Amino acid sequence: MIESLRYIAIGIGATLTITSSAFVIGAILGLPLAALRRSQFMVLRAMARVYVELVRSVPPLVWLFLVFFGLPQAGVSLVPLAAAILTFSLIAAAYMSEIYRGGLAALGRGQWEASSAVGLSPLDTARFILGPQVFRVVGPTMATYGIGLLKDSALASTIGVVEITFRAGAEAQRTGSGLTVFLTAGIFYLLLSLPLALASRRVDSRLRARYSIA
Amino acid sequence: MTVHSENGLTRPMLTAQNVTKTYQQHVAVNDVSLEVSQGEVVSIIGPSGAGKSTFLRCMNFLEVPTSGTVTIGERSITIGPDHKSPSRKEVAALRRGAGMVFQSFNLFPHLTVLRNVSLPQERVLGRSRSEADERSRALLERVGLSQKADAYPSKCSGGQQQRVAIARALALDPPVMLFDEPTSALDPEVGAEVLAVMKELARDGMTMIVVTHEMAFARDVSDRMLVMADGGVLECGDPRVIMKQPTHPRTERFLSAVLDR
Ligand SMILES: Nc1ncnc2c1ncn2[C@@H]1O[C@H](COP(=O)(O)OP(=O)(O)OP(=O)(O)O)[C@@H](O)[C@H]1O
Ligand SMILES: [Mg+2]
Repeated sequence: MIESLRYIAIGIGATLTITSSAFVIGAILGLPLAALRRSQFMVLRAMARVYVELVRSVPPLVWLFLVFFGLPQAGVSLVPLAAAILTFSLIAAAYMSEIYRGGLAALGRGQWEASSAVGLSPLDTARFILGPQVFRVVGPTMATYGIGLLKDSALASTIGVVEITFRAGAEAQRTGSGLTVFLTAGIFYLLLSLPLALASRRVDSRLRARYSIA
Repeated sequence: MTVHSENGLTRPMLTAQNVTKTYQQHVAVNDVSLEVSQGEVVSIIGPSGAGKSTFLRCMNFLEVPTSGTVTIGERSITIGPDHKSPSRKEVAALRRGAGMVFQSFNLFPHLTVLRNVSLPQERVLGRSRSEADERSRALLERVGLSQKADAYPSKCSGGQQQRVAIARALALDPPVMLFDEPTSALDPEVGAEVLAVMKELARDGMTMIVVTHEMAFARDVSDRMLVMADGGVLECGDPRVIMKQPTHPRTERFLSAVLDR
């Protein structure tokens, strides 16, 4: 039992690496993507839209296989961990951009208009006015998405990334006690997602108490 | 008090020439021209949908006119028959000429009152933080809100928020102030605080264009009244004269409707 625990725990590193990298990269790439959705040029808007819809309508596992098994045919071979990070980052970017878009829409036109009227540049408006408010609005949603990402990262086991689920599978085969092994894996995921859930709730209620943002 | 441009003493502070704004098929503002001298207060009245807000927003290019010329001080933008959009730089330069106050205040809710007034000064005028804060505090004092400097907008009443919005606009030292129904979202008593601040501004010689339904304010404070309906100008002149003897039957109908309320 303890031995299984130790064995599976080795996978935590890869699980966290995939989740946190994809979260951060997705959160960053989601910004320009959300901005493109509001571009004054129709072509750019359409391209961003197509990207988001495409990413969301194909299962993550298929994207993972496309990157890992498909890209080598195009001359790009990635080690499993890199393939997983790339895939989940690109997927996360699409979802994050949608989360940002929702937050922006919730702010309404007034903030943008007031910023324009006082002469703030679009970049300053994003940085000082819209950005901080959007993050306050979407923070909890992003945390929820982060938990989803943590769970999705288990898919990386299918291409051989040595993360929690992969280790659990191997251990189950070795010991033949699937129940305890996968229960252990489940508890690991639970423990990893708990801080994120708690933090988001704390931050959310603190901010709500301080500013009542519409 | 007011020096009208007709007497040749001053050049107009703000000029709108043949400003037209169409949305798809709908003509919101139809070939409206207006000249405002330095220190002059012009009120714009008219029924809902007349195009008052749209016209006002064309003055600082919050709406880009479909055609026409807007000049504030030295800066001018013309939208010609080719409807070519002005560059961002041109628009930014023109906007420096006009502060704007909205019906819904539009303060930045994540910033304190002081930061609301200081941030634009720092980013747009390049003032240092201490310089900006000093100016902000002076303006907050002027609108009677020194004690609210460190509060967030959500902790201010509507009237207080609107006075902060006025301070925020004034902080950029614009030669002209544009007001779009600044008191329409407020209870009458609270609106009175805001109107008092505006009255004082006018007395201090600020050039102002005010879209309003406050007829007493329009009559007592403005030098000129522009009556709009269906995107056009019904009449323009001395507010007392217009309110006593409107020349247009539509003005008469509108006036009796608002004065009855
Ligand atoms: N973004 C827009 N798209 C389409 N039509 C618009 C838009 N903005 C304004 N309009 C139309 O233009 C006309 C003038 O609107 P505007 O808001 O300028 O009127 P207003 O005189 O300010 O009215 P109110 O007293 O209700 O504020 C209206 O018929 C309105 O429906
Ligand atoms: Mg209006």
